[in-house]
Amino acid sequence: MSDVNFRKIDIDIYDEDVLVETELYDADPRDPAQVLNDTKQKATAVRSALSKGDTVGALTLVLEDPPYGPGVDEAKNLNLQTLVSILNSTKSAEVSSVLKSLSPDAQDTLMKYLYKGMAMPGWGDVSGSVLLGWHEKLTEIAGTGCIVRVMTDRRTV
Amino acid sequence: MAAPEVYSLAQGPITAHAFNQDRSQVAVSLNSKDVQIFSKAVNDWKATETLSEHDKLITSIDWAPNSNRIVTASQDRNAYVWSQISDSQTGRLEWKPTLVLLNINRAATFVRWSPFENKFAVASGARAIAICSFDEESNWWVSKLLKKPIRSTVLSIDWHPNNVLLAAGSADMKARVFSAYIKDVDKKPAPTFWGEKLPFGTVCGEFASSAGGWVHTVSFSPSGDVLAFAGHDSTISIVYSGSGPAVRTVRMSTLPLVTLVWASEDSIIAAGHDCQPYVFSGSEGGWKLIGSLDDTSAPKSALTPSRFSPGGPGRLNSAAFNTFKNADSRGISNAGAGGGSSQGESELFTVHQNTITSVRPYEGQSETTTKVSTTGVDGKLIIWNVGSVATLTAKLGSTHLR
Repeated sequence: MSDVNFRKIDIDIYDEDVLVETELYDADPRDPAQVLNDTKQKATAVRSALSKGDTVGALTLVLEDPPYGPGVDEAKNLNLQTLVSILNSTKSAEVSSVLKSLSPDAQDTLMKYLYKGMAMPGWGDVSGSVLLGWHEKLTEIAGTGCIVRVMTDRRTV
Repeated sequence: MAAPEVYSLAQGPITAHAFNQDRSQVAVSLNSKDVQIFSKAVNDWKATETLSEHDKLITSIDWAPNSNRIVTASQDRNAYVWSQISDSQTGRLEWKPTLVLLNINRAATFVRWSPFENKFAVASGARAIAICSFDEESNWWVSKLLKKPIRSTVLSIDWHPNNVLLAAGSADMKARVFSAYIKDVDKKPAPTFWGEKLPFGTVCGEFASSAGGWVHTVSFSPSGDVLAFAGHDSTISIVYSGSGPAVRTVRMSTLPLVTLVWASEDSIIAAGHDCQPYVFSGSEGGWKLIGSLDDTSAPKSALTPSRFSPGGPGRLNSAAFNTFKNADSRGISNAGAGGGSSQGESELFTVHQNTITSVRPYEGQSETTTKVSTTGVDGKLIIWNVGSVATLTAKLGSTHLR
C-alpha cells in the first residue's frame, strides 16, 4: 500500500485507441466567439420578451441552440444567468402552463439547466427552492425520460 | 385481450432466453455460467437439461429453429455451438459443444444466428463483432472480425433477412449497418436500399441516438428496409433506408428501453426498465407510442388495492416510488407501516416486477407476429398476445401515455 495514488494514474495515455470526448457527439458548428455573441443577443431578446410578460417566448428563446461543448464556458454561464432570471420571475402558479407549451426539445434542455443550476448552489441568482419547484413540475409533465436524457446527453450546457 | 401467460422460472434474473422451433423447450441463462433448458409441462416449465462448458456468465443465447443448434456467448470471451448428438454408449441424445475461434479479448455480449443458419454473429466488448462460419476442412467455426468504425462495446446485433447485412448497436451511442458477406458461404446478395456492392466490412449506415444514450437494441423490420434502435436516452428511432435515409425518433417520458422486436412492418414491441412491453406504431410519416401490452391499472396480486393512484409519466407513481417518497417526506419507513400490506407496497403494477431484458417473437410469421415472449431480472418468462393494435389504441386512448 505504498502508493495509494494509483487511481489517479491516467491509464488512457497507454491506450493508442482511446475513445475521446469529441467522438461522442457532433461539435457545435459555430466558433466560440460567435456562440458568445449569439448568447448575448439572446439575453437582450429575452429581457424584452420578459418585459412584455411573454414567459413562454423568453424560455423558448433561451433554450434554443444552447451553448455546449468545450471552450464556451462564458457563454454557458451567461445563458444560465439569463435562464435563471426567467425562472425567478415566473409566478409558481403559472409554471405548469408555461412548461406545457414548450417543445419536447426545450423541455429536455430546461432539465439540463435545472440540474446545472442545482450543481452550483449560491452562484449568481440561483435559488435552490425555485429550481426544485420547476423540477417537480417539469418531471410531472415530461416524465423520468427527460431526466434520463440529461444524464445520457454528452452535449452538456 | 387474453391475459398473458406468466411462468416463474427462477428467483434471480434471467439474462437471456431462446425457444426451439416448436416452442416446446426454452434455453435460458439464469445469470450463471450454465445454460438451463426447460421443457414444457402441462401448465409449467420443467428444468430438463444443463449445458455446462463456459467459465463465466452467459450473456446471450440463440436457438437456430431449422438446424436445431444452440449458440451461446459468454463473458469468458468464448462462444459455443451446441448440437444434439446421440451418445455412442447409451444412444441418448445429448447436447455437445463445439468451440468457436472468436479472437476477441473481451467479453462476448450478444449472439444471433443468421436467417439461413450458416453463420452467426457475436458482439463483444472488444469493439468488434465476430462473424462466424463453419470451416468444413478443419471442422470448427472460424470467425472474421468487423472492427471499424466501432468505438466501444457492441451491445446488440440483428441480421437482415438477406443473410448478409448486420445491424449493430453499441455503447459509442451509434447504431450501424454492416455488410457481413463471407465469400465462400454467401451468394452475391441482391441490391437493397442499404447498398448495392457489399464486400465484407462495408458500413452501409451509421445513426446516432438523438440525446446520446448508448444503443441497447437494434432490429431490422420484417422486410429489412427499415431499422429500429432504442438507446439509453429513453428514445426509440426508426430509420427508413429508402429515402435518404430518414430517421423518425420517438421521445419517451418513461425509463429507457433495452430490447425490441418488430411485430409487423408498421408496429414494434419494445420493453426495458419500465417493466412493461410497449407497442409503437407508425409509418414513414412518423411513429408514436400507442400503448402497453400490460394492464397497469391495478396491482397484480390480490392484495388490498394500493392507496396510490396509478398513472402519471414514467414510474413516478409506482408503489416503490411512493415508499421512498413517504420515507422522505413523512419519515414513514416501510417496515413498520401498515403491517400486512407491506408486500403490496413494494409491488409494481406491471406483470414483470423488474426490468425486462429480452423480448423475442413467439408465435406467427415475421410480418404478423401474434405472440411475443419476454424475460427479465425478476426471473419470469411471460408470453404476451400482441393482439390487434386497434383494440389497444381504443383501450389505452385515455391513459397517461403522451
